[in-house]
Amino acid sequence: MYQYDQFDHAMVAARNAEFKDQVERRLKGELSEDQFKPLRLMNGLYLQLHAYMLRIAVPYGVLSSRQMRTFAHIARTYDRDFGHFTTRQNIQFNWIKLADTPQILEDLAAVEMHAIQTSGNCIRNTTTDQFAGAAKDEIDDPRPFAELIRQWSTFHPEFTFLPRKFKIAITGATRDRAAIRVHDIGLQLTDKGFDVYVGGGMGRTPHLGHLIKSGLPGDKLLSYLEAALRVYNRYGRRDNIYKARIKILVSALGPQEYARQVEEEWATLDQAQIDAPHAEIARIKSFFPQPAYAEKPFDVASLERAKAADAGFARWVRNNTLAHRRDDHVSVTISLKPTGLPPGDASSAQMDAMADAADRFGYGELRVSHEQNVILPHVAKADLYELYRLLDQNGLSSANVGKITDMIACPGLDYCSLANARSIPLAQDISQRFADAELTDKIGDLQIKISGCINACGHHHVGHIGILGVDKQGEEFYQILLGGRADEQAALGVITGKGLSAEAVPGALERLIKLYLELRTDETERFIDTVGRLGREAFAGALHEPA
Amino acid sequence: MKLLTANRLTDGLVLWYVEGSDLSGWTEDAALATRLEDEAAALLLDEWKARETEVVAPYLVPLIDENTLVKREYVREHVRANGPTAGQTAFDTARQHQRGEVF
Repeated sequence: MYQYDQFDHAMVAARNAEFKDQVERRLKGELSEDQFKPLRLMNGLYLQLHAYMLRIAVPYGVLSSRQMRTFAHIARTYDRDFGHFTTRQNIQFNWIKLADTPQILEDLAAVEMHAIQTSGNCIRNTTTDQFAGAAKDEIDDPRPFAELIRQWSTFHPEFTFLPRKFKIAITGATRDRAAIRVHDIGLQLTDKGFDVYVGGGMGRTPHLGHLIKSGLPGDKLLSYLEAALRVYNRYGRRDNIYKARIKILVSALGPQEYARQVEEEWATLDQAQIDAPHAEIARIKSFFPQPAYAEKPFDVASLERAKAADAGFARWVRNNTLAHRRDDHVSVTISLKPTGLPPGDASSAQMDAMADAADRFGYGELRVSHEQNVILPHVAKADLYELYRLLDQNGLSSANVGKITDMIACPGLDYCSLANARSIPLAQDISQRFADAELTDKIGDLQIKISGCINACGHHHVGHIGILGVDKQGEEFYQILLGGRADEQAALGVITGKGLSAEAVPGALERLIKLYLELRTDETERFIDTVGRLGREAFAGALHEPA
Repeated sequence: MKLLTANRLTDGLVLWYVEGSDLSGWTEDAALATRLEDEAAALLLDEWKARETEVVAPYLVPLIDENTLVKREYVREHVRANGPTAGQTAFDTARQHQRGEVF
């Protein structure tokens, strides 16, 4: 993974010293809250419903075991012993004291991490495929380019005060696991360069990104992004927060006109001054080598015997492992969705256990996925059973990846000051309702995504089943969306049926799933495919109790 | 009739204003919050908005009567008063309380 150079260390240290002074001045009353609020937000510190929340950037979701242990230390020392992995591949701590924040940031700096640009109208943490560098279907590794974007966008003076926040996602595989079509800019790395999608997003007015350029060479990426951001910065709606995202500008101009303006701007730029030289790209790529793979003899018969003897292990291998570029390895997803517990949460002991697992079985590497799980990208097949047992001892062996209980849920009204309704308890209810592993396997791949408000941090627009919490005259209600998906066939879900009370949602989902199981052509037809074949109207009636 | 609430500057925790308290006027226990007449509540709000080294973002929570929150405010204020409902069986907390009852 990327390692800080002297400039990175100096920049982060300077920022931390500056923020430490700002915190001290705030506590002494030398700064008002109005003066301090934008300063703390620039360092990832929010004031939420119950306490301060610190959002820490996990650059493109890549973590070392040492960094994970630092998260465990923060959870144990400064928080209530847990952290929450987010849909931006970051981590949030929900019970932070203001006075502790400078020390936390120092602890993070010691392992080359920070919380800069995790808030505000700037370019946020670039997200990518959690299996980058490992997946069998990968065309090229997106991490060096994500790092290039990180270096270019961090403290970029022109893009520190954009009309609104700006999110970039990048994938290098044929299967889109980074949801690039619902980002402000989505980058698809192909064997001919980058396909550039612009103007995607969720929130109040969801849009899918438009392809505005194909075959952009990697060594021209930064100057093209600079042109795209400059057009947005110049013409984005600063007069109306609800119309300030780039999706509104692209929609208003039309993708072709926006693309034309970007090309025009690009042509005026001194590209050589902006784009990274080949040597620099090569230097960054050198930070992302393949691990020194252990040559462990792998005995298929032994694995099959273990699976036959332990049904839980067999299910876990089937659901939580993904084909690796090497035949003797797999990528393992550690599900943070145990039955009945908040999605994406991990205790300090679990964080330490995941770090141990990475050191013993995963070459010290971990990833955070936007589905709020943690990944060991490189695991020898010979180590799978031992790894499973370690995870199982720590409550980390849920075998439900990609299944109905592997839900995304935002923090909702339990923590978030913007939310209208709770998300986590609803996810817990659904998780308990579908706790039967045989049933979840029978249902197959199905993504439920829950947001507690229209801002869509829980990605409800692109859930096969999306659930949006709304406030209806003081009552929490939930709208159901069907047909969304975030993959390479991205589509936005459509609200189906009337809003439901929290108590009614699990039953509605049961009826919906029962109908799907009746209607699917066979067990290979996934829920989203059946909805696509028959139309969501075929399922609308199932959402409500029969009269 | 209203309640006055805020977050403590140093740790962000939720506080409720209680008259006659020896705890600088604030408590973490929502059950002890003083029901304030509208005019007195407005004056207190202005006073605490100016005392920024102690609390952050003070605001008033409207009541229908001394035991009933305005329904629109109920869920948010219930969660603020009692802490996250996550980890419990969904919505049991809310069901334990008649909707609108303080807290």
